[in-house]
Amino acid sequence: MASVTLKGIKKSYTKDVTVIKGVDLQIKDGEFVVFVGPSGCGKSTLLRMIAGLEDITEGELMIGDALANDVHASKRGIAMVFQSYALYPHMSVYDNMAFSLKLAGADKAEIDKRVQRAAEILQITHLLERKPKALSGGQRQRVAIGRAIVREPQVFLFDEPLSNLDASLRLNMRVELSKLHADLKTTMIYVTHDQVEAMTLADRIVVFNAGVVQQVGSPLEMYENPANLFVAGFLGSPKMNLLEAQLVGVENGLAVVRLPKGITVRAAVDASRATAGSKVTLGVRPEHIQLATEGDVGIPARVDLVEHLGDIVLAYVEIPGVNDILAVKLPGHYTNLKRGDAVRLVFPETSALVFDEAGLAFKRTV
Amino acid sequence: MAMGRNSRRIMGLTGHYAGLIAFAIFTAFPLWWAASVGLSTNPENMYSFPRSFWPTEPGLLWFAKVFTDMPFLTYLKNSTIMAVMTVVGVVIVSVLAGYPLARLKFVGSKTIFVIIILTMMLPSEVAMIPNFITMKHLHLINEYLGATVINFSAAFGIFLMKQAFEMVPQDLIDAARVDGATEMQILWRIMVPVSAPSIAALGIFTLVNAWNDYLWPSIILTSREKLPLAVGVFNDLTGPFATSDSMVMAAIVMTVIPVLVFFAFTQRYFVSGMDGAVK
Ligand SMILES: Nc1ncnc2c1ncn2[C@@H]1O[C@H](COP(=O)(O)OP(=O)(O)OP(=O)(O)O)[C@@H](O)[C@H]1O
Ligand SMILES: [Mg+2]
Repeated sequence: MASVTLKGIKKSYTKDVTVIKGVDLQIKDGEFVVFVGPSGCGKSTLLRMIAGLEDITEGELMIGDALANDVHASKRGIAMVFQSYALYPHMSVYDNMAFSLKLAGADKAEIDKRVQRAAEILQITHLLERKPKALSGGQRQRVAIGRAIVREPQVFLFDEPLSNLDASLRLNMRVELSKLHADLKTTMIYVTHDQVEAMTLADRIVVFNAGVVQQVGSPLEMYENPANLFVAGFLGSPKMNLLEAQLVGVENGLAVVRLPKGITVRAAVDASRATAGSKVTLGVRPEHIQLATEGDVGIPARVDLVEHLGDIVLAYVEIPGVNDILAVKLPGHYTNLKRGDAVRLVFPETSALVFDEAGLAFKRTV
Repeated sequence: MAMGRNSRRIMGLTGHYAGLIAFAIFTAFPLWWAASVGLSTNPENMYSFPRSFWPTEPGLLWFAKVFTDMPFLTYLKNSTIMAVMTVVGVVIVSVLAGYPLARLKFVGSKTIFVIIILTMMLPSEVAMIPNFITMKHLHLINEYLGATVINFSAAFGIFLMKQAFEMVPQDLIDAARVDGATEMQILWRIMVPVSAPSIAALGIFTLVNAWNDYLWPSIILTSREKLPLAVGVFNDLTGPFATSDSMVMAAIVMTVIPVLVFFAFTQRYFVSGMDGAVK
């Protein structure tokens, strides 16, 4: 097992296009780190650089205590699981898993022991004689993971391993990957653009955008305290509601912002570094918005669309004068809410976030 | 309605089969005619049309004479040796040249490929005199190797293997690289097996060409006991001392049969080698 350290890692495919723009990251021994980000942001590229499949243009990559920049992929102590599975089609499942050990010259008994053990962990012992084309997608993915396990790597690298599976299988495999990590306690780096996978699997999430790390942190920390607008909008489903606003006042530990039509909202953040009157963005998660009850004051709004999901109700509401439609996540018992209803919304001040003109979040005060 | 759909289906199938059968007859007809003449122990109808399309007094007389009146088995052996040498040579050269052209990045790879393809535009006869002189200096006149080596480096084969290797998913190569395979191991243990259908196609194509090669072997092979079938049959059975046209037909049929047998046995390698690799 080993830690992985990235220092100022950069990657350019051509002289003028830099895909990874300087990444610094410390991944601890045994940690499960998930890279998330939109398509094309460079997640795979970074993973492939760690794997040794792509040259590092600039910067240092340490695996364990050793500089790994110029070490061959097979000597880095890593194993990689590809999105496409990349099984050798002409070899049986057994031979697929044994291939790396055979190349390394391990003796037959040792190979057999390791393959059988990996097959047991993944429950594919009955498939060992088959060729990949006789397997289902889920089984192929298990074989691909098995091929990584037999190498007993110091670091596992996964590039969107579940994205070709259907929803229920994806859920199963996600749980199993979690268990696998708990059992093996090996460092794992996992790339996905699925934020649910990121939230559920990760010890720490690294959010990327356009080749730059946006934020690093534990899933909950990142969900509750996104560092900037990108992270705020990326994690969570439905997305956090982001509304353009104007900062009108900074009290001790409280920011007051004004939405169009003179609606004011208070948020428990420290906005003292901004000047009153500057443009800001108000952020409220759908599950934090409440409907006002009798007597409460609230922002008047109209229901645009209601989705009953059984356990929860998703309402999309419109505040007059505000362009964006807001998503509101309500408990399942709001069954008689319907399109066209007039409601009043409450944004609790302890859960509202405010972002400055550059998109950086103000610190919460509670 | 069901009837309507069924009869439409049957008509469609009938159309398909009619087309295919017509095509099969069209291509197989010359061979059929040759076989019919060769099987006629009585050659009197050989030139009567269309009576010669089926045998007169069928028998294997002329086929037997092919073995007794000329060294057929010697020619067959020579053809086999030379065809196998050519197939092996072409496959090795094509694989070794196709892989870097398809997969390795190096300066000038595109130019090299274009030059290789340009050689396809030249008629092979252009190269005969230089090749003959080269073979003479290599002391390969009247050798099997001399009769075949000039065909080893086939632009078509290199092109075919380059295309095949380009089809192999990058992930498969990366997986092998992570697993610790060297470039050569990736080539022989991953790329080649995965490209088996293309290699089989190249092999059969090359075999047929080598089997039917006439001009170059007839130039470079000087002794009768080294001649392949195409040259031997032609030399022995045609020309001023020709004995019988019936025997020519029997010999031709016998010449074609080994290729057909080989074809029948290798057909199964044409199934896709990439099934199950990715996704
Ligand atoms: N071989 C290459 N040559 C040039 N540009 C490349 C190459 N590979 C990737 N890129 C570019 O690098 C950027 C990052 O690609 P990368 O595959 O790392 O994205 P990703 O974050 O993995 O996206 P996805 O979620 O779609 O897999 C993209 O803009 C892509 O076009
Ligand atoms: Mg990717």
